[in-house]
Amino acid sequence: MKTRLLPLYAAAVYLFLHLPMLVLAVFSLNSSRFTVWEGISLKWYRAALADQQLMEATSNSLAIAFAATLISTTVGTLCAYGLWRRHSGWISGSLVLSLVTPEIVMGIALLALFQWVFRNLGAHLGMHTVILAHVSFCIAYVVVVVLARLRTFDRSLEEAALDLGASEWQAFLRVTLPSLYPAVGAAALLAFTLSFDDYVITSLVSGVDSETLPMVLYAMARRGGNPEVNAISTLIVFGLGVLILASERLQTR
Amino acid sequence: MCGGTIMMNWRSRLAEPRSLFLAPAGLFLVALFLVPLAILLYYTFLQRGAYGGVLPAFTLENWQRLVDPLYAGILYRTSLVALVSTLICLLLGFPLALFIARAERHRNLYLHLVMLPFWTSFLVRTYAWMFLLRDTGLVNTVLQATGIIKEPLPLLYNYGAVVLGLVYGYLPFMVLPLYATLERIDKSLLDAAADLGAKPLQTLWRVTLPLSAPGIAAGCVLVFIACLGAYLTPDLLGGGKTILAGTLIQNQFTNARDWPFGAALSLSMMALVVGMLYAGIGRRKERLL
Amino acid sequence: MNRRLFLMGVAGAAGCSPARRGPRLNVFNWSNYVAEETIPRFERESGVHVRYGVFESNEEMLARVLSGNSGWDVVFPSHYYIQPMIENGLLLPLEHGSLPHLNALEPRFRNAPWDPTLQYCVPYMWGASGILYSPKLSPAPKAWADLWDDRLRGRLTMLDDPAEVLGACLKKLGHSLNATEEPVLRQAQAEAIRQKPLIQAYLNAEVRDQMVAGDVLASQLWATTAQQAIDEAEQLRFVYPSEGFAVYADCAVILRESRRIELAHRFIDYLLRPEVAAEIVKESRTATANGAALQLLPPEISHLPALYPDAETLSRGEWFATMPAEAQRLRDRIWTEIKSA
Repeated sequence: MKTRLLPLYAAAVYLFLHLPMLVLAVFSLNSSRFTVWEGISLKWYRAALADQQLMEATSNSLAIAFAATLISTTVGTLCAYGLWRRHSGWISGSLVLSLVTPEIVMGIALLALFQWVFRNLGAHLGMHTVILAHVSFCIAYVVVVVLARLRTFDRSLEEAALDLGASEWQAFLRVTLPSLYPAVGAAALLAFTLSFDDYVITSLVSGVDSETLPMVLYAMARRGGNPEVNAISTLIVFGLGVLILASERLQTR
Repeated sequence: MCGGTIMMNWRSRLAEPRSLFLAPAGLFLVALFLVPLAILLYYTFLQRGAYGGVLPAFTLENWQRLVDPLYAGILYRTSLVALVSTLICLLLGFPLALFIARAERHRNLYLHLVMLPFWTSFLVRTYAWMFLLRDTGLVNTVLQATGIIKEPLPLLYNYGAVVLGLVYGYLPFMVLPLYATLERIDKSLLDAAADLGAKPLQTLWRVTLPLSAPGIAAGCVLVFIACLGAYLTPDLLGGGKTILAGTLIQNQFTNARDWPFGAALSLSMMALVVGMLYAGIGRRKERLL
Repeated sequence: MNRRLFLMGVAGAAGCSPARRGPRLNVFNWSNYVAEETIPRFERESGVHVRYGVFESNEEMLARVLSGNSGWDVVFPSHYYIQPMIENGLLLPLEHGSLPHLNALEPRFRNAPWDPTLQYCVPYMWGASGILYSPKLSPAPKAWADLWDDRLRGRLTMLDDPAEVLGACLKKLGHSLNATEEPVLRQAQAEAIRQKPLIQAYLNAEVRDQMVAGDVLASQLWATTAQQAIDEAEQLRFVYPSEGFAVYADCAVILRESRRIELAHRFIDYLLRPEVAAEIVKESRTATANGAALQLLPPEISHLPALYPDAETLSRGEWFATMPAEAQRLRDRIWTEIKSA
């Protein structure tokens, strides 16, 4: 009985998760600016794709998210492993603190740091500062996810490898890491999402040239009912959805 | 500790790889987190600049202002909302994580489907929820059209809407750590329990649940903390009629232009939460991080 | 793993768009303040690429600009931020010689109270806050006091802005918008708390949708946002309250850190050209400070009651003033208490 209930339940939760997306998709086809239905039209899609600012912001967001995900997942996984082997008080404490810090606080603190540093260097805020900021808050999440998985890992497997003559690094690479892949994948996914969707911190530390998609969408949405927002959101979801399905096909082959 | 080992030559460094693993993270944490926080702590002892920023003048008043029942009340309300949201998130997220972990194929697909909505602006999604929930919104229209209700239900601009928004917004924070632990559970343990005559629910309660405790703890902590600091969702879905901790802090850095006080508020809230965490979880042998 | 590398490559390629060479101007403005052709035309005329950034609140802008190293050249703060920015040494005095079209401004902006000689700023767009309401309300609201009426219970919104809400309460009580004395502000607080049970939500521009859909019957709203709502739902009406209302103006300034001073002046002068300003108003439906532009516009735009009220109504308006630090702290405290009530 449980086996049939669970998929049904999962489907219901997925519906809950995607309901706003369906709303957005439907209204992206609405020819009226506002939420009163007027008729089907593709004009918002045309407008969104022609909007240079929007396109540039999207590519900025993607670039930043990938860079930040790569760095934070690598650093975070290594850190989780290191913590699992031997506890480190100050790193654990800092990570917990990093999780507990509200975004606006992180943003202001980083802005203060960058402004102080850059004043002496004559540099400006830009993509690099955004990426650094994103890595800074993503690491803790990666560590939490990977460490939760490591806690269920059997240490004796590693010890066996060591007994057989592997170095610590080899034991990590060949024995522990492969079984961590699902957790690392999940952590990377979380990091990517956090980075791609971040608004508060990004808006504070981004420079003149590094406008991201959340910033643009936020401004548009705050102004009230710009359907370009609906169009671009639907496009992103659709586009990424297709990418995911495609890669899923490639993997299960 | 860490620094000392890095000083050693490369041979001995390879012999103590723990420091190698921790070094990159340590570097990032110090440069991009601890130092900025220290700057913020320094700010709490300064006076506010008249129009934002800070003045280099020492003062203790930011800390003195914290002692005020107004702020305690705000923190209490925020904690309550966060707690309820976390519990609902757990109840909703656990079966979903279980489903994904148990799926024989397409696990990545299911995981990605969980994250997919979150690759669009959360503000846009929040507005979509506002559209769904308001008096002339989709939910009420459908319910009225099918005759289930006569008058529109007040679904928006109250605590219920806030909790819904928070649960919706932080579900991945719950599902991912849960999945990471559930996926690892040895199937043979479940089979053994079944062989010993346990019914599926019993297996769930007495085998799966305890084994997934680290994931549950991680998910709950992440969601709870995120809910405490959230400001956009409670503000929009709650109609701005009540002020929670996130909005209060946000206001200090924007409208009120009182950075030092905002810094003091957030640092003290962070300290309280960390204290709670270590008091609650630190007693067990397993730590969160 | 391969999938990730592939996706990374795509993103990397996308992110590496060729950097534009040649002179650049960085402009930071409120949203919806230019027409579609405004920036491209300037770029063509001057041969310069313009980076046009947009912000939604003064505080957001100030946080970036305060460092003195933000990278922006021309910024558009609201008028009550000009004095603080001057005091913080952020602004460059303007060369009126490079702004031949300065006289296109309306007289009342030519001698703006916050900068009478226009030494640092050029007023660009102005606005006010009033009441947008549905014609279903009869009798129609005419004053702030009408928003305390019980018939609006659950169908009323106010702006989510302490200065605006306290402003409305102060006006209702007959005081100045910019009051700083504690007893007066506490009275205003009491009024706001009295009104709170009637309010559905404190909303800014988001309420536009709901007014159009009919969820909300009356809301405190900015004139420009109200005009947008009226454009969509002609039956809605906007009124400037009889007790008085808040007025503000967004002005162009040049940051002292700018290294493209001559170009910045050219840009501001470009915006002052009557035909350019007129085009902007036609598209964005905002209220311009440019008198000459208004004369170029057809009366159905230049006499829109929501955006361009007659002189008698306008005289009831009061400019927002910069708040001294202590008063700001008190107001913020009061706002927190109102929200927690």
